[in-house]
Amino acid sequence: MPDPVRMNGLSSAASALQMMEHRQQVLANNLANASTRGFKAETPFARLMGNAMAVTDTALDTTPGTLTETHNVLDIAVKGDGYFVTQTPNGERFTRDGSFTLDADRRLVDSRGNAVMGEDGPIQIKNGKIEIEEDGSVKVDGHQLARLRIERVAKGADLQHEGGTQFVPDATRQLVPPNERHVMQGFVEESNVNTMEAMTSMIDVLRRYGAAQKTLSTIDSVRGIATTELGKPI
Amino acid sequence: MDPALRAAATGMMAQQTRTEVISNNLANVNTPGFKRSRAHFEDLLYQSIRGQQVLGDPNADTAPAIQVGRGTRLAGVMRMHDQGTVEQTGRNMDVMIEGNGFFQLEDGRGKTSYTRDGSFQISDKGLLVTSDGWALQPPVRVPTDASEINISTNGIVSVRRGKDLQPTEIGKIDLVAFANPSGLESLGRNMYAPTASSGEPVIGAPGDAGMGTLQQGSLEGSNVEIVQEMVEMITAMRAYEINSKAIKNADEMGQMANNLTR
Repeated sequence: MPDPVRMNGLSSAASALQMMEHRQQVLANNLANASTRGFKAETPFARLMGNAMAVTDTALDTTPGTLTETHNVLDIAVKGDGYFVTQTPNGERFTRDGSFTLDADRRLVDSRGNAVMGEDGPIQIKNGKIEIEEDGSVKVDGHQLARLRIERVAKGADLQHEGGTQFVPDATRQLVPPNERHVMQGFVEESNVNTMEAMTSMIDVLRRYGAAQKTLSTIDSVRGIATTELGKPI
Repeated sequence: MDPALRAAATGMMAQQTRTEVISNNLANVNTPGFKRSRAHFEDLLYQSIRGQQVLGDPNADTAPAIQVGRGTRLAGVMRMHDQGTVEQTGRNMDVMIEGNGFFQLEDGRGKTSYTRDGSFQISDKGLLVTSDGWALQPPVRVPTDASEINISTNGIVSVRRGKDLQPTEIGKIDLVAFANPSGLESLGRNMYAPTASSGEPVIGAPGDAGMGTLQQGSLEGSNVEIVQEMVEMITAMRAYEINSKAIKNADEMGQMANNLTR
């Protein structure tokens, strides 16, 4: 059986160009979200497939973003590991963007109107002074109403990005024990995009792209010589 | 290269909106009772540029699906309701709320709105009104022979009438609180209207839990902090710049690709 992907210099140079383009797209998306709360950057890396054909793969960079104090009672951040769980039309999603509000039924919702889940379902908040404690307990005027559901996935498990700073959890999702939670009221988590690093990566992408382009045109001219010069009668 | 260009363009637009919000905050740095806002963004949908696939012979690796994001968009502009600075004015009809409450106002035609700007005046009808002419609700009527207006921390308004030595109570200032003040709609001129997300107004007296107390002779300054806004502006500026660099980079790559054919 012939090898389905016959590699030669030309197509590996072409795949390198394509890989760099994808890498640039990932970097552009990271930079566009440099001020998106709760955003987690994607780290592009090359994966060697089959016969030396490199493709861009991405991994979620879960390092925490900076916490900014806002004094808003419904701004909640999770310090360390853990995600809020929201109920969306497509199922439950994870998010680290904790700038919540209340809807018409006084339920705690995210900026898209999806209910934030407590351990007993959506959280309806009564009138009064809202306090959220470190373990995620929601209290109004000192009376406990509910406790936020804070979940995480196993180490190494992949979270899929979805728009709206949401992630699709996989089967390894589990509840974070209350004593390991660090829920902070009046804070939001900023984007974890490191612009310096992205800038250097972009320069790197550009240079490598140039190198691959040079390779491609060199191979092309070698072939050109082979086809035009070799056939010439002496 | 087009998606990289577009993603970076959404980033530039986001930073522009952010700068607009910062500019409005800075413009209101001396507006009594003003509350600063912050633009809030979220990422756009992710596109699978390659599904899961098997490369080479059947025993070879499988390539996982590759998802690439397509930029950012404005999710909302949120107002921050932290307390503004105390500005001592010494004027006895300037009232500051220390806490989370709002004054309830009425425009004389049945329309209600809420404010934290407590620089009151006496109207031609003798009512305590804001600088825009909206009257406090319930109304506080100041008699014509009154002197020395005194407003206590829990809202009792008293005056000295004529030659009386004892002050007379002429009314009471109520406060209202909202579950989520960030959800209030800004009407401009320092006034707000309730919405579904702010919750219904809860009427109470100054000093009640969650209402705050009154302080006569002071005004609540804007809660805009210049240094903080400047830092935000610099970050926005830098983020704008780096997004433009991403566009430039993508453009140069496109140029190189175009140079492949001679």
